[in-house]
Formats: sequence, structure tokens, C-alpha cells
Amino acid sequence: MDDKMCNISKSFESDGADGSTDQEKEVSNAIFAVDDEHELKPINSEETRCWVNDCTGGYYEDDLDEDINITNFFHRVDSNQIIYQSKKRKLKLVGKYVMGDLLGEGSYGKVKEMLDSETLCRRAVKILKQKKLRRIPNGEQNVQREIKLLRKLKHKNVINLVDELYDHEKQKMYLIMEFCVGSLQGMLDSTPSKKFPLHQAHGYFLQLIDGLEYLHSMRVIHKDIKPGNLLLTLEGDLKISDLGVAETIDLFAKDDTCFIGQGSPAFQPPEIANGLEYFPGFKVDIWSSGVTLYNLTTGRYPFEGDNIYRLFENIGKGDFTIPDEIQDPLRSLLLGMLRKDPHTRFTVQQVRQHPWFTRKPPQVEVRVPMPPLRGDEWHSMTVLPYLYDHYYDDPNEDVDAAEYITEHELNEAEKKQQAPEQSNGSTHSNQSSKRGGRWKKPISCINIRNLPGCKQS
Amino acid sequence: MPLFGKSQKGPAEVVKALKEAVNSLEKGDKKAEKAQEDVSKNLVLIKNMLYGTSDAEPQTDIIVAQLAQELYNSNLLLLLIQNLNRIDFEGKKDVAQVFNNILRRQIGTRSPTVEYICTKPEILFTLMTGYEHQEIALNCGTMLRECAKYEALAKIMLYSEDFYNFFRYVEVSSFDIASDAFSTFKELLTRHKILCADFLEMNYDKVFNHYQRLLNSENYVTRRQSLKLLGELLLDRHNFTVMTRYISNPENLKLMMNMLKESSRNIQFEAFHVFKVFVANPNKPKPILDILLRNQEKLVEFLMRFHTDRAEDEQFNDEKAYLIRQIKELKPIPGH
Repeated sequence: MDDKMCNISKSFESDGADGSTDQEKEVSNAIFAVDDEHELKPINSEETRCWVNDCTGGYYEDDLDEDINITNFFHRVDSNQIIYQSKKRKLKLVGKYVMGDLLGEGSYGKVKEMLDSETLCRRAVKILKQKKLRRIPNGEQNVQREIKLLRKLKHKNVINLVDELYDHEKQKMYLIMEFCVGSLQGMLDSTPSKKFPLHQAHGYFLQLIDGLEYLHSMRVIHKDIKPGNLLLTLEGDLKISDLGVAETIDLFAKDDTCFIGQGSPAFQPPEIANGLEYFPGFKVDIWSSGVTLYNLTTGRYPFEGDNIYRLFENIGKGDFTIPDEIQDPLRSLLLGMLRKDPHTRFTVQQVRQHPWFTRKPPQVEVRVPMPPLRGDEWHSMTVLPYLYDHYYDDPNEDVDAAEYITEHELNEAEKKQQAPEQSNGSTHSNQSSKRGGRWKKPISCINIRNLPGCKQS
Repeated sequence: MPLFGKSQKGPAEVVKALKEAVNSLEKGDKKAEKAQEDVSKNLVLIKNMLYGTSDAEPQTDIIVAQLAQELYNSNLLLLLIQNLNRIDFEGKKDVAQVFNNILRRQIGTRSPTVEYICTKPEILFTLMTGYEHQEIALNCGTMLRECAKYEALAKIMLYSEDFYNFFRYVEVSSFDIASDAFSTFKELLTRHKILCADFLEMNYDKVFNHYQRLLNSENYVTRRQSLKLLGELLLDRHNFTVMTRYISNPENLKLMMNMLKESSRNIQFEAFHVFKVFVANPNKPKPILDILLRNQEKLVEFLMRFHTDRAEDEQFNDEKAYLIRQIKELKPIPGH
């Protein structure tokens, strides 16, 4: 059961616009070709059972094409014969922003870290290529609509669009956003139980409802609330993101009637699953927040199905069970948010006044941490090595640049680097000293970053 | 430290001692100086029970529960707030800290202090009048905003006659107090969406009569802040009914049109965001339509030249273009 759920969520991730795990997948594809096969096997073998694979199969194959070639390529070459050459990191500026490393990749383009060279604020940038956008139906329109929407929204729990830049020559668009470390989905995926302790889920849920209430007060229906679209900042603030399919209702509309539903299937309410012509929009978000809460607290989904038709059939019936371990205040909140009839389904106000909402559960279990990015559990700033290389001439750096490294050496170096990290413990002073060490010995960062470049050779 | 011998006192004794000290401070007798000292000392003791110190943890839940119970029974919270102006500078801050901590206390889903204050609304009213006394205004402000986070308490404040004093407080000459009062005022009107919408609907005439005065204030900051808040209130979906009512009144339209011509560009810009709602309304009542028609040409001409330097603000330009088109196409409704 768990395996299956995990597949569904994984497929969503690759389905969505910015799954941060995509990037990790890409890296692992390149380095550990064999590992990757293991990872893919369960997905392939369940293809018949898991509907998402059915419908996104084309997309998958398309995307894997080049990766498969690489896999074959690596199969033939002995690991210690692969040679990497560490490339010198070149400082890249876009406007006043210094480019950092890749954070994630979606169908629309890459997401990288950036540093505002004037305010020294950490930022994330979504890089959109017009060429890619044109291939997606309504791609350009949707992006323009999302930008317009984001510009007028300003709330602690809604992702903030800080700046926009255009490079007409390269046909690229840079959307500069608040820096986030990852999504709730990424955190869930990193735990064996795929769920959060109650007090942690409670904290996120409160912030989700705050952000949602704001969106609704601005007449915005998000329509795609799910753990993958809830990002976290370094401070642990939740940000509702990805307003790609959001709809704004007219200022003078009498009610919130909507006609189009286009979020992620497993989070859609019965009225959309049943193909109703129109339905109240705000209740769509209540439903998907309910499914999200169900998912965060149980590690499962209230509705499942072998394929999208079965799934919608099950959602359409509206019957679901809640695991026994979920006790009453939470249970009744879930039942209220997942009522089949949108008119009797809870309102934001009812959710707010619900006993589970107003009571903070005691902290008994250990919080699930944000999974490390490329082995760095502190998510340290990836812009710094570039700046360091640009401004300081490190004699070691030149030697490294001229040197060729085999994969064996690379692994050794990585092991060496990880060993002291583990023994370091987690105090702050250690953390900074670790960072310090990292700049002087950039080898560990380069090698991993260099792998995508290695593809071309 | 020898002083710590006294800190062994339980909550009951500390509360009793503090109450006596505040009482004698109130009387202002000869022992006033001694009383002042006792008040400060006991306040620190209570604060340390709740927050702990650099070398001591906060007290256990049981002690804190006892403390809270003593505070309720002795009516000390009200007494402290009533005599806040007599307490020294640090003491005032300690009162605010103790008050806010006790307020946030939770037992399960219950907030006992919130329930307690509901039965003793004088506490809220005394805090609100705090804005009239310069030396305690900001301390009362922090406590009020903490109270405003709880819907039950916000409701008491909104629906009280004293709420209308805020229209005066936000205009006082001292800038820090006026700003503090405005943020409390805004919190009360925006925090609990449904409560606020109901309140504005039920008390529409009274609130907007008062609000009109803010928009006409002599004080630039008041005018600008209140205009901005008005825009936020009207455009909030929860206040749909209020908005519909507001944009049906020709007096409001006239006011906004005058504000579009204000000397301050910031006020012009904020006024634009309210003015656009009148024009965009698909069901304009006759009086509104008449005003717009009477000024049709002038408005189009005015808007064409309105803030033309905001070229980079795409949304503003879209909206302006939309308004110009709308006004150009206005036609009188025959037989209406």
C-alpha cells in the first residue's frame, strides 16, 4: 500500500511544475546508473496498477530518452575509467542577482538559487524558456496570468514574486521569488511513514488556512492545493505556491461559481470528479486542503484508484475511511472538510473554529526535517563558492582545474568529506567551520555540479 | 543571592503582595516610594515565573495555573491596568509581558484568560482608553493587539461604544501613538474576516460616517492610511455587501473624485484604487451614472494624463485603460 502511494506522489512530482526531487533524480541517473534502475523498477512493474503512470507515460518516456542513453553509456564503461575534469566556476550575474546552483526542475524550466547583490537576500529564480513554454498548451498565457496574480498578492503564507527580468536575446524569463528550501511533499517522501507528527502537521495546516483565507479574500481560488505546492522557507514559514491554474473571480460576481477544475486528480473534490457544470470555487480549496491534511497526518490518501477513471469514480461516490489512529477532533475536522456536498462542507471560518484547529497538539514525536539538498542538510548558500572563486585566487583551485579525476577518486573524496561532517555534530560553530572548509576545498561541490556537464562529453 | 529567599514565595503570596502594593500606590500615601519598589519587585517575580530567567526555567504548569487562578480571583489584571500610569517605566513593560503571556495560556482548546476577560470587559475598555494617556498608550497598544487576536475579545471591542474613540486616537498629534492606534484599529477591522464583515454590515452608517472624517482629516498620514485601508476593506471578498453599498452612494464617489485631484501623488494613487470600483460596477445606480456622465469628458481627459510615469506598472496601466474605455462608453439609461 505504502509503495503504491509513494508512486502516485512521485508521479505527481514529475507531473507538477517544480518537483525538487527531479533534480536529484537527474543527478543520481548520471552517477549511479545501477541504483537508478532499482528505483525505476517498482514504478514500471506497477504500471498496470498505478493510473498516473498510465496517463503520463508519454511524458516519462520523452523525458527519459536522453537519460536512457546515458545509462547505456555508463554501463559499458568501467567506473574507475570515467574521467571528470573540474570546471572553473564562473560567476554569473543576471541583473543585480548572482546565480547559484540548481534547486529543482519542472516542465516549465529550472529553478536556481540566487543572491541579491544589493540587499544580500537569498532568492530562488524560476527560469522560463519561451521555446519550452510554447510547447505547452496555454503555457505562455498561464505564466502571464500567474505573474499578474502573484504581483498583487502579498501575504506571509503566499509565495512572493520579488522581481521579474527578461532576456530577450536568449528568450528567457527570470521570475525571482522568495527563497524556499523545499516542499512538504519532499519532506514526506524523505520519511519512511510518509507522514508528519500531529503537532508538525498542525503547524503547517494553520499556516495553510491563513494563506488560503487571504487568497479567498483577494477572490483567488487556488485549485491546486497539495503538499507539493506548499513550500517552506528556512525559518519554517509555509508558502502556498504555484498559482498556475488559479482563478480570480470577478469583483462583482454574486458568488464564487466556477466552471473549470484543473488541479491534481487525487486532490479534486467530488463535484469536479463527477464533471459538474459549475460548482462553488472556494469549497474546492477546502476539499483539497482536507485531502492535504489527511495526507500529512496519515501518510495516505482518502481516495485511490488504479487509473484516473477509477479514482474519479471513487471520489465521486465520496465514501472514504479514516485510519483508526486518527482520534476525534481531527477526525471530525477531516469529515467536515471532505463532505461530498460542497454546500455543507466546512467554510474557512468553520475550520478556524474547529477544536482541532484551536488546540495545539503536544509535541511528542520528533519533527521531520527538511531533507538535505545534495548532501547538505543545512541548505547552505550555493552562491558563495562562485563568489569565493571570483574574488579569491585559490592556488589549489588552479591545480584542481588542471587535474583529471576518476570516479573512484571522486567517491573517495566524497567519503572523506562526509566523514568529518558526521562526526562534527550539529552545533552552530561546527556548521560555520564546515562551511569555511568547504570554500577552501571546493572539490566536493564542483564534482557533483559538474555531472550534468559531463553528459555532453 | 539572599533576595532569592523571597522568591520561594508561592503564586498566592506574590499576587497578594503585588495587590497590596498597587493599592497603596493608588492611594498615593507616604509610603508611595516603598510601594513603587514593591510593585516592581513583585512584577519581576511574576514575570520570572512565566518566562524564566537566564539561569532559571519558567515555573511548572501547575504553578503557572495557580498564578493565573490567583490573578483572576484577585482581579489584579484590571487593577494593574487601571494604575499603569503610576507604575515605573520597566514595571509598565513587565505588566504588558505578564498580561500577554497569561492571555495566551491554553488548557486544551480553552483559553481561560480569554474567557475570564469576556466576563470582565472593563479590562478591554480600560486598555482602549489607555490611548488617551501618552505615558501608557504604547503599553496598552501591545496588550490590545494581543487581545484582538482572539475573536471573542475583538468582538467585544468592535461592538462597544468605545470603538468609535479609535477614530480620534488615530489622529492624535503624537505620531507614534497615532500609528500604534491605527495598527490596532486596522487589526480589529481586518483580522477576523466574518466578524468584521458582519460588524461593518450591521453598523454601516455609523462606521462610515466616522470613517468619512478620517478621509477628510487635516492630517496627511491619517488621510493616506485611512484611504489605503478603505481600499483594502472594500476589495476584500468578505466585505462584498459593504462594498456594494459603499459604491452606490454618490457622496462617496464625489469624495474619491476629489481625492484623485489631491496634491499628494500617493493619495491620488490610493484614491484611484477605490474610484475604479465605482466605474467597474456593472450595475451602477442612476445617481452614480449621472455623476460619471456629467464628467465624462473631463474624466477621460484627466485619466489620460493620470500618473503617466508609471509605465512599468503593467497592472495599473491595464486598469487605467479599462477605466478610460468604460467611461468613454458610458451612456445614459433611457427610462431609468
